[in-house]
Amino acid sequence: MSQPVTIIMIEDDEGHARLIERNIRRSGVNNEIVPFSNGTAAVNYLFGSDGTGLDQKGRALLILLDLNLPDMSGIDILRWVKENRYLKTAPVVVLTTTDDSQEIKRCYELGCNVYMTKPVNYDRFANAIRQLGLFFSVIQVPAAAT
Amino acid sequence: MTPDAKRRRAIGQILLLAAGLVVLTFISAGSVHLVNRAREDARWVLHTVEVENQLSLAQLQLHRAESAQRGYLSTLLPDFHTDFEEAASALTPALQRLSQLVSDTPAEKRLVDEMLPLVNQRIEEFRNTIELALTQRVDDATRAVREGIGRDAMKHIDDLASQMRTEEDRLFVERTTNADRTQSLAASMTWVGSGFVVVLAGISILLVRRSARARDDAEALLRDNNLNLEATIDERTADLREANDEIQRFAYIVSHDLRSPLVNIMGFTSELEQLHADIFKRIATFARASASPAPVVAAETEPVLEAEDKQLAQDFSEALEFIKSSIAKMDRLISAILNLTREGRREFEPVRIDTRELIEGIVTTVAHQAAEAHAQIRVEPLPHIVSDRLALEQIFSNLIDNALKYLEPGVPGDISIRGRTKLGFAIFEVADNGRGIDPKDHRRIFDLFRRAGAQDKPGQGIGLAHVRALVRRLGGTMSVSSELHSGSTFTITLPIKWTGSNGKRAS
Repeated sequence: MSQPVTIIMIEDDEGHARLIERNIRRSGVNNEIVPFSNGTAAVNYLFGSDGTGLDQKGRALLILLDLNLPDMSGIDILRWVKENRYLKTAPVVVLTTTDDSQEIKRCYELGCNVYMTKPVNYDRFANAIRQLGLFFSVIQVPAAAT
Repeated sequence: MTPDAKRRRAIGQILLLAAGLVVLTFISAGSVHLVNRAREDARWVLHTVEVENQLSLAQLQLHRAESAQRGYLSTLLPDFHTDFEEAASALTPALQRLSQLVSDTPAEKRLVDEMLPLVNQRIEEFRNTIELALTQRVDDATRAVREGIGRDAMKHIDDLASQMRTEEDRLFVERTTNADRTQSLAASMTWVGSGFVVVLAGISILLVRRSARARDDAEALLRDNNLNLEATIDERTADLREANDEIQRFAYIVSHDLRSPLVNIMGFTSELEQLHADIFKRIATFARASASPAPVVAAETEPVLEAEDKQLAQDFSEALEFIKSSIAKMDRLISAILNLTREGRREFEPVRIDTRELIEGIVTTVAHQAAEAHAQIRVEPLPHIVSDRLALEQIFSNLIDNALKYLEPGVPGDISIRGRTKLGFAIFEVADNGRGIDPKDHRRIFDLFRRAGAQDKPGQGIGLAHVRALVRRLGGTMSVSSELHSGSTFTITLPIKWTGSNGKRAS
């Protein structure tokens, strides 16, 4: 439990990525953020060259996942993460513009921890990110203590 | 079959019937004529017999007169005298009758004319002998008889008679032959005519059977065509459904993809707002620092700006406000499109609906608005239909809302909902006495985000577009009739028994 949580951000829209990052930082979360702008790169990073995810064994990860990616569906990434024995413990936060109830239901069924609809309203957005940040900082506390 | 051939066939049948009629008429006329002729011939045959008979009668009378004369001369009995007179008196009419009868044959007439003086001469001779006997000169009389006075004349008469008989026999043969011919002609004519009629009837039957077969073929073809048509319609419906699905997906994706940059615009506008606050705080600090070296008391307090800087800050805020309000509006529109497409993706479920009850439920929910607008809503008896309940609720509540929303100011509202059925469809009318819609806007109002008339009421221009989309999905149509300031009537035609087949989609 000595490792600080690494935030994996899979988000193709640079603006969204920047906004998310800024708001996370503004909320006082200083964990490392590893950004990916497409699904393939993120999958390669998460599952390694052999595709087993062994590289991530024992690492504390938090995945921010956009569902609308240019090269693949975020749903698939979510399923693979939750089916992988090393990655399934990592919390996944789905961040997307879709507020379709069917899709939300599907994500929770697949094991997503938090589903957030990207709000256009800045206040709500910032608030949501801050809450997320609080969640991160709680996780980060033991890491920072060592 | 081509129409030309059909017409030819019809004309052929008519001609055939006409020919049959002509043949029948001809046969009838011919038969009547021939029967008349046969009767005539028979009459002539009879006439011959009559002539012969009359001739025999005349000869008989002559011989009777002769034998009476002989009897008298030999017996002198007055009975014989009377007998003679009777025969002689009967002879003249008999001969006259004979002359009449043969008047048509000049040769015979001539013979009769020749015979007549001879007969008269004979009778005169007989009378003379009887006179002699009467005057007691029997001997003279008998002598006259014995001398054979008039024997030649008598022989001549018999010759003439036999000539006449021969002539009449010839005529008899001729006339009998004639009569036979006429009869056989009539018989053969009847046969030929009957044959003709039978042949024509046969052809008629053939034609009728052929046209019946043609009709059966045409019916089969029509049935096939109907099936084809149904298949074509199904195909087109499937195409339309696919196109509709495509549009739905398109709208969904577009509205989603539009939302993505909007999130950025909104987010970074907020960032700008944040920056704006920071920048002007710093400007205020610097301004104050340059004016007086006193340190800033607290960052939380509202920065005090100089007039010039204040103007800049206000312009900045104003620009940001416009951007934000535009973003908010765009967000609402995109949400509306998303909701519409979501509505389009919802599975409709056909259930039996008491339409009147449903609309009265809607009227209850808008009772407050109606009271505020001094409007009354009348719901007339409406047909029950099988349709989607939620869609129907949305359709009617939108229309009733609109009717309440766009009333003519100062006029108490009067909204009525009527319904009737026609040919498997239920026709509903939502009529009001409101401000009305300019006819040039009648198409526009059904378009998404388009509105008409004075823009004094809140709204996005979505309601009627939504209603029409719902009506179409329920297999119906809708239209409006309205004039400015004289109310509007929205007419909705829905199938009475919607099965869901024309609205279902594989989503």
